[in-house]
Amino acid sequence: MSAVARLRARFAANPDQPLKLIGATGQLGYGVPKPAFTTALARKPDMIGADMGSTDIGPTFLGSGQMATAGEQTRRDLEKLLVGARTHDIPLIIGSAGSSGAAAHLDATLAMIRDIAAEHGLSFKLAVIRSDMDRDSVSAAVDAGRVRGMGVLPDLTVEEVHASSNLVGQAGTEAFIRALETEPDVIIAGRACDTGIYACIPEWLGFPTGLTVHMAKIVECASLCCLPGGRDPILAVLDKQGFVLESMNPARAATPMSVAAHSLYEQADPHRITEPEGAALVDIATYSAVDDRRTRVEGARWEPAEQLTIKLEGARYLGERAVLLAGSADPRFIQNVKTLLEEVKGVVQDLVCGTGVEPDYDLTFRTYGLDAVFPWPEPPVTPPREIFILGEVIAPTTDRALAVTKSTKQYLLHHGFPGRLSTSGNIAFPFTPPELAAGPAYRFNAYHLMEVDDLAAHFPVTTEQVG
Amino acid sequence: MRLMDMARVVRSKNAGPLHLTFDIMLETKVDYERCLAAPSLRAEPIANIYSVSANAVVITPYPTALAIKITLPRHEAAGVPGDRDVYGAQQHAPLLEIEV
Repeated sequence: MSAVARLRARFAANPDQPLKLIGATGQLGYGVPKPAFTTALARKPDMIGADMGSTDIGPTFLGSGQMATAGEQTRRDLEKLLVGARTHDIPLIIGSAGSSGAAAHLDATLAMIRDIAAEHGLSFKLAVIRSDMDRDSVSAAVDAGRVRGMGVLPDLTVEEVHASSNLVGQAGTEAFIRALETEPDVIIAGRACDTGIYACIPEWLGFPTGLTVHMAKIVECASLCCLPGGRDPILAVLDKQGFVLESMNPARAATPMSVAAHSLYEQADPHRITEPEGAALVDIATYSAVDDRRTRVEGARWEPAEQLTIKLEGARYLGERAVLLAGSADPRFIQNVKTLLEEVKGVVQDLVCGTGVEPDYDLTFRTYGLDAVFPWPEPPVTPPREIFILGEVIAPTTDRALAVTKSTKQYLLHHGFPGRLSTSGNIAFPFTPPELAAGPAYRFNAYHLMEVDDLAAHFPVTTEQVG
Repeated sequence: MRLMDMARVVRSKNAGPLHLTFDIMLETKVDYERCLAAPSLRAEPIANIYSVSANAVVITPYPTALAIKITLPRHEAAGVPGDRDVYGAQQHAPLLEIEV
């Protein structure tokens, strides 16, 4: 009997028992603290979940198919979770595989899972949820006016749909429940709502949806809802009226205030958690202390969506990136730096393209110390003692990007200006070469909502026997 | 009094790659009410700081955590060439000096 089948049978026999869920990590691949994970396993949980992905990391990983986390550390974290879950025969659910959850990320994660299983002699049933969107289906939705924007990106076009290097949708609880129906031991999903990882089992077993989604939204960040917040696994004990949160690190306390405040984190609206199937209304939730380290949460309501939607995420290739790293401590250069950088841009364009020829690259500068991080309307009252200049070039090839960056470096070093004292060089290099190839560059070209009549068709579930 | 001298948390972060969200958390109900009433924390002055239109600024009081949330659109999607802050974690800086 698989871990999920056993759980199902146990709840069929006694549906009123509480459900114990472990949020192992909100970002698998950066390290899962071992002491807290060991404590979590000792509490005999009913499931272990982990989220691997986010759009926070920018468009490059989605576009390139690479993971944002290091392969070695990702494998170590997967090993810890898989061996722990299989040793105790607990369902393991992982979402947004490999940082961005497209086919390449998912397949790399699955390869690690199979490799770990072989190394440890593990045998289990694996269910896989794929999240890559069919381009023709999305194009048809675009043509039918069923795709809408969510902010600064323009309306999605059929051209952009086909130009995405990867185009995924966020799988919801629905897809995870279909995977549970296959009664696996382990579920690995491509791009997925982080809540689906934790909401699927309780929803499947008949717990109230509002409560379940509220719990899921908190535990998906592990112990971040605690004081002090951190990456240690968290335990949620869910019953039909509420749930109790407890960090698996005794130094972290889930207090009513720290848990309530977590509703603000990276959310546009702290009063509702919006999912493909509806929204959990958490504005009426209550938070009460069980003791110094545990808080009980009750009260969230579920509002089913009138229209099912899938959040689309796409990234489009722009070219190859190279960067220039340089500093300056010269007050005359710093005083004039904005003008000088514009002058150098013009000089470089003439040199690498020819006068009057449109550049085939994009060159931008950020001047740290002045306005690199925020576009301050006024310069600082006192000029900084030093500044750091980051040059960024995106060009059709790496060679071209480096060629532009190298000319920029040289002409910035020796660019003359009235009042210049430091005639042997304007900038300091921390090392050489100061121009570095930074790999392919992408931009998000889809972050839109697609209306659908049926979620299941977009997120196929397959199963395999591992080992 | 400057916001940075009153609040226990002033932070920014992406809420998805197209929006920035800011959380101002206060220690006491008195401070919370004071910030909620401050003209400097209304949509128009916030919109001016971030060069967005005032009707795109959503201010949500969250009394449960003595917090005020401000959400507004990014000028470009996170991670475009030349982006200043891919995670949006340092866009809170101009709020710190605001008088409340």
